[in-house]
Amino acid sequence: MKFRSSFSVSLMVSASLIALTACDEPKVDASVFKNIEQCKKDPMMRSGECETSFKEARNQHAAVAPKYTSQADCQADFGEGKCEPAPYRTSGGGSVFMPMMMGYMMGSMLGGRRSMMSQPLYRSAKNPGTFRTADNRNVGSKTGRTSVARSATSRPSFKSNTISRGGFGSSGRRFGSAAT
Amino acid sequence: MQRIPATQRVNLELAAREHGLEYISGEGITGWDESAYYQFTLQQIEEDIESAAEEIEDLCFQVVDRAVNSESVLNRLGIPEAFWDYIAQSWKNGEKNLLGRMDLSYNSNGPAKLLEYNADTPTTLYETSVFQWEWLEHALDKGLVPEKCEQLNDVHESLVGAFSDLGIDGLAHFACNQEIEDDKGTLDYIEECAREAGVKSCSLKMEDIGVDDAGRFTDLEGHNINTLVKLYPWEWLMEEEFGSHIPTSGVVFIEPPWKAILANKGLLPLLWGMFEDHPNLLPSFFEDDPSVSTLIDGGDYVRKPLLSRQGANIEIVKNTKTLFQSDGPYADELHIIQAFEPLPNFDDHYPLVGCWMVASKAVGLCIREDNTLVTSPLAKVLPHVILD
Repeated sequence: MKFRSSFSVSLMVSASLIALTACDEPKVDASVFKNIEQCKKDPMMRSGECETSFKEARNQHAAVAPKYTSQADCQADFGEGKCEPAPYRTSGGGSVFMPMMMGYMMGSMLGGRRSMMSQPLYRSAKNPGTFRTADNRNVGSKTGRTSVARSATSRPSFKSNTISRGGFGSSGRRFGSAAT
Repeated sequence: MQRIPATQRVNLELAAREHGLEYISGEGITGWDESAYYQFTLQQIEEDIESAAEEIEDLCFQVVDRAVNSESVLNRLGIPEAFWDYIAQSWKNGEKNLLGRMDLSYNSNGPAKLLEYNADTPTTLYETSVFQWEWLEHALDKGLVPEKCEQLNDVHESLVGAFSDLGIDGLAHFACNQEIEDDKGTLDYIEECAREAGVKSCSLKMEDIGVDDAGRFTDLEGHNINTLVKLYPWEWLMEEEFGSHIPTSGVVFIEPPWKAILANKGLLPLLWGMFEDHPNLLPSFFEDDPSVSTLIDGGDYVRKPLLSRQGANIEIVKNTKTLFQSDGPYADELHIIQAFEPLPNFDDHYPLVGCWMVASKAVGLCIREDNTLVTSPLAKVLPHVILD
């Protein structure tokens, strides 16, 4: 049997966690390319690997890219002519816009196995020299072999187009507490 | 097992405020009573409760193993057919569980008997894990209890450890009916434990969950929900409008879908059917099972809906006469019949022993006391100590 030893927690006081600053973060190896052609020209890369990882990033693009309901809002963030229609509709049937994919990032090859999934990259209007992930993590301006903060290599979250809300909660309204 | 009167803290109102518990002048803390505590021996705790609960957990897993392979069992539990494969898959994939509370009838003169297993949405967690512990520290400090007193209470560390072991990838969402303070408070505490384990989290109301055009669940910022820690029962989720999206949503649910089998009072006849005469089980049958006559004819039994909460719609029959009956919204459910095992009576206080399971280990004790044989939402948690 384990008896608890003394502990102290400030409970019920919602803790707002302070995010670690990026400079303390461990870096990991990655490769960044503007497009598949640039990847294929890199003597460090195998052409088949370029195609697989590009496809992997391209397939995620529509799902993970930031979404806007107006083209003007999208262009304000990503620049004139840098946005495209997303393959989604709002619940009212309106158009959805997203930035164009401006590059992709793949993990380094370790023992023949890639260390992470590839993901699409974007460039913002304010800072067009650097690439950023769909979750707005800066991965620098260098292409080819580079190193990036580990947090930038995590899988980008889906930013989808919610078509409906409120489909949960009716039993709670009817029965009250879920407690047992 | 003894009930020992105790002196309450003089600063009880302050303690309540520090912990976000409701304090009513003249009545004390809602759901809490420290004018007495229960004392157990180490052997009672280790052998009669802790070992028994972990053994019952193992039996429960054998029930799940059988249920997921049996359409007739899932049907009997009232689980919608659209979820049969989904639940089976969650079990076969070994999706991890976090929390549960077994309610036991225990009087220290014989084995503890399982009355039910709150395996999906248990509450009184904070009172068990934190407030009861703080009471003991205070009571030891002020000499209100003998100095060698201990407590079965490893709930907090176990929860933090369990969250580390869950290997949650990215943000975890925590959802409940936030208008119910008890539910919100319990889930907030669980979220604190997750954060202590390094999990990134945010909380939202059940009704704020959205669904996108790919059938995935979303939060109010349009982020997809990948992990959902819910204080909202599976039977409600499955029945509600968005329930149909659950199997293809890609969401990792905590508690996992297979807990729907354990949180159903149909568990009790299923256990009895597989492990008849086990010392920690009570004879139990589905009401439509012909074998039920052995209990009905004996005249002493309890009738419970498959799915009910907080002691609602429970009927106790003693000598063929109704001894107790509670109202509630679950009267239309299929019922089970369970042998009547009265809670021990300490001067008209009826303590129900709740054994907290975290990741299937018995790690904490919560005594809830009511002045009736059925423990209702008006019951109060009393602290416990272990002393040899």
